[in-house]
Amino acid sequence: MLGSAAPWALNLSAMAQAAAATTAADDYKALVCVFLQGGNDHANTLIPVDAGSHARYATARGSLALPLSSLQATALSPTQVLPDGRQMALAPALASLKPLFDGGKLATLLNIGPLLQPTTLAQFNNRSVPLPPKLFSHNDQQSVWQSYHQEGPNPGWGGRLGDLFMSGNTKAAFTCVNLGGNAVYLSGDQAIPYVMDPLGPSPLLAADGQMYGSPECSRLLAKLVTQTTSPYAMAQMHTQVMQRAVDAQVELSAALGKATTLTTAFTPGNRLAAQLKMVARMISARATLGLKRQVFFVTLGGFDLHDNLSIQHPVLLGQVADALKSFMDATTELGVADRVTTFTASDFGRTLSSNGDGSDHGWGSYHFVMGGAVQGGRFYGQLPDAGLLGPQDVSRGCLLPTMAVDQLAASLAGWMGVSATDQRSLIAPQLAAFDGAVLANLFAAPLPSAPPVPV
Amino acid sequence: MVIDTDQTPSDLALQDHIKRAGSLAAMGAALVSAAGCSDEQLGPPTDEEAARFLGQAGLGASTAGIESVMQLGYGPWLDQQFAMPLSESLWRWAQAKGFQVPAYKASDMGMDHALWYRLINSPDVLRQRVALALSEIFVVSVRNMPVPWGQFGCIAYWELLEAECFGNFRTLLERVALSPAMGVYLSMRGSRKEDATGREPDENFAREILQLFTIGLVQLNDNGTPKLNALGQTTDTYSSSDIKGLARVFTGWDFDRFDEATPDYLNRPMVFSAEAHSQKEKTFLGTAIGAGTPGQQAFKQALDTIFQHPNVPPFISRQLIQRLVTSNPSPDYVARVAAVFKDNGQGVRGDMKAVIRAVLMDGETRIGLSPVPLQLMGKLREPVLRFLQWARAVKVSSSDGLWNVGDLSGPDRLGQSPLRSASVFNFFRPGYAPPNTVLAEQGAVAPEFQITDESTVIGYANFMFRVLPFGGANVNVSYSDWLPLARDPAALVDKINLLFTGRSLSEQTLSSLTEAVGTIGVIDDQGAFRRVVSAMLIVLCCPEFLIQR
Repeated sequence: MLGSAAPWALNLSAMAQAAAATTAADDYKALVCVFLQGGNDHANTLIPVDAGSHARYATARGSLALPLSSLQATALSPTQVLPDGRQMALAPALASLKPLFDGGKLATLLNIGPLLQPTTLAQFNNRSVPLPPKLFSHNDQQSVWQSYHQEGPNPGWGGRLGDLFMSGNTKAAFTCVNLGGNAVYLSGDQAIPYVMDPLGPSPLLAADGQMYGSPECSRLLAKLVTQTTSPYAMAQMHTQVMQRAVDAQVELSAALGKATTLTTAFTPGNRLAAQLKMVARMISARATLGLKRQVFFVTLGGFDLHDNLSIQHPVLLGQVADALKSFMDATTELGVADRVTTFTASDFGRTLSSNGDGSDHGWGSYHFVMGGAVQGGRFYGQLPDAGLLGPQDVSRGCLLPTMAVDQLAASLAGWMGVSATDQRSLIAPQLAAFDGAVLANLFAAPLPSAPPVPV
Repeated sequence: MVIDTDQTPSDLALQDHIKRAGSLAAMGAALVSAAGCSDEQLGPPTDEEAARFLGQAGLGASTAGIESVMQLGYGPWLDQQFAMPLSESLWRWAQAKGFQVPAYKASDMGMDHALWYRLINSPDVLRQRVALALSEIFVVSVRNMPVPWGQFGCIAYWELLEAECFGNFRTLLERVALSPAMGVYLSMRGSRKEDATGREPDENFAREILQLFTIGLVQLNDNGTPKLNALGQTTDTYSSSDIKGLARVFTGWDFDRFDEATPDYLNRPMVFSAEAHSQKEKTFLGTAIGAGTPGQQAFKQALDTIFQHPNVPPFISRQLIQRLVTSNPSPDYVARVAAVFKDNGQGVRGDMKAVIRAVLMDGETRIGLSPVPLQLMGKLREPVLRFLQWARAVKVSSSDGLWNVGDLSGPDRLGQSPLRSASVFNFFRPGYAPPNTVLAEQGAVAPEFQITDESTVIGYANFMFRVLPFGGANVNVSYSDWLPLARDPAALVDKINLLFTGRSLSEQTLSSLTEAVGTIGVIDDQGAFRRVVSAMLIVLCCPEFLIQR
């Protein structure tokens, strides 16, 4: 259950433990979770292009299938060749990510999803092994990806990373930053996500001393919204959020104001790009805020394409590619490309077969990991069958995963500097059940100048 | 019941009730069996009880509303509200206001106008409140309505909820299922039978009608708590194969005479085509609908099966209590309302009027006789309802008749707006509890906190700060009822306290507010105006207002 009853509001001054202030200013790492809400259609994200596999894919997908001719330009040549002459292409809408893949900055994870232990189809069908809860339910699977639990007030593994690294951050309230909207991912046992708008924090206007011309009323409002004697827990919870908001806005506005303006372009009207632009700005302000380790959460919605998939999916993937490319460029501009790792996640993959003009809820999916420290240009994990009725086909081509979220979480945590012990106990509870070799090489060896981070 | 020594005026009123009604034990015994309290038991409402009631049963309290509740009593007021005729058609209003023009065919322009027009003006406040509540359970949103005239589809959907919210749940369910807006939103429209290419029926509506609209994910006791086996585990209500079976039922339905030249196709229930309907056997929820059963019959049979599921009464009752009254009702409260859902006393299941009456007249809320610990009580008022309380109190008007209040769902505004949820999961989930809070540790929930964060709390306060004095976009405000009170700060503050909170503000808050307001000079109307807006803004942002009990 929940750990010690840490107060929900963290007083910023209480958190200002200036630990590790004397280490090199560039000993910084950030993890960015890009959550695609609704269940991204994995089968049209990464598509088979060797003739035999494509034919099986096309048969399974019917009207949803992307034609072979459209996939030539984005066909991938990974450094580790896929078995059995298999070849995969990025969706055409993801074309701008191909140079990142070719340049070794983008890796692909094959058939990843929540699992409690390696599971065969027979075991799934017989329910003879423990399975993740509430499969195929949107809100629960978002929560399972983020916290290993169905919907509920459970800590997310991103928040648990925050717990481990907070004490090394001066302005620790900004350890976990959420620009994507309410989610458990960044809630830890102590770490509380700071939720912010991509445009940046606003001050509480009425509390600025003016407020319709009455300084007394302005003062009273400022007091009443941040303190209460009400016996209702909800009243106190609300004042605590407001106190955090007010304190953080002051700190953050100053820090963002001081940071150098980025020149990298982020496309207007792209919600994900707007969030990642602010992530980049936050990263540019890390020295002012004394931050060594941060975890960010951003989202893009609209992926639940039960219908209209052929039209809408490329639009969404285009926004993802555009935003990720800009973000990669921004981290390069900031000189932190190898200190920022970004990964995608989603409720679930989808069915391979069509319902006419869309696909339905699935399970295993394909996801990306991007960053200068990533050993990209290759696939990690087991490529599933291209068509229906393969060994991973739960139903209609919905995939039984062969890689667990735990494995990804542990690998990312290890890169951040989390010990193997803490990976197992805090970040990836089922890790021991899975093969550690699968993602062992996801990251290049640590940079020689980075000191080991104490945890 | 623990008597709190630090009592507000409203706590004293509760105790007064108990004294008047007789012993605690007698009242308790009456409540356990009764489907809500009677007006005789409760006695005539005081002004603050009436205001508090209107904050649950309506869209906020007004002077006239309070007088009405006090004069009639709760029961007759409800009767009057149930009997109110439907207001003018919003569809025709939107057409008359010029929203059915080619320029708006592919936009959402007009929906917000129509809904705010209705919510700010309509006298059938109970109907509007319940429609709003139902729109958060049977969610449809203009944000994912990618068809011509989508905004009109949403307007029609609101009118559907208005028309059915006081009827029978089974009818409501069927009309929602056949609504073209829902057909688009959850992609049932155009879903076809399986074919030789491997295409299967769309599973979207089949899943969400069960998960979100009727039975939820786990088997429930009549009191809304999950049924637990000997190992303390819950039992799922359905599996993937149930979804597949039900998805077959929901094939063959589509728009009635689609013609993108006008929105009319979105104002007609979906129609059935046998050609597109799956002929296979459909098994789900322990029922089998035989292969070849005519589709319209299968559809009704499926809805009947779902409607009869034992989860429906507690699943719906608990959410209606959460929407109208409190986030954490006691299981007994849920059970009392669920019992009325099951049987309204005349053998009818799903009588919405009876259920709404049971929710609002239960002793747990009318008298405050609750086993729920004080700390866990209450609910965070939805931003939309905070806004409507203010808007109605200041006689918001529209000088151009268009009611251009707009989309208020952005984090720099209310963070919520009618029929604008980001997904079918509504702005907030019934089971949401913020992590690392005493509420979560106690197993309690606070749904509205799912949209309460560092960005939205400031956004709300700043939005109200900006609109309070003069409104905007030809939406005007009138403080004419309030200005006369400004010369007496205590009276002004008391009036706001009464209307907005049912006199929930503490003595300390009242005196600080009265004093601060008093520092504003009232030589002229400008000063009086500043007193009024300052007092109102402070109350609108104050936790003692934000948390409704």
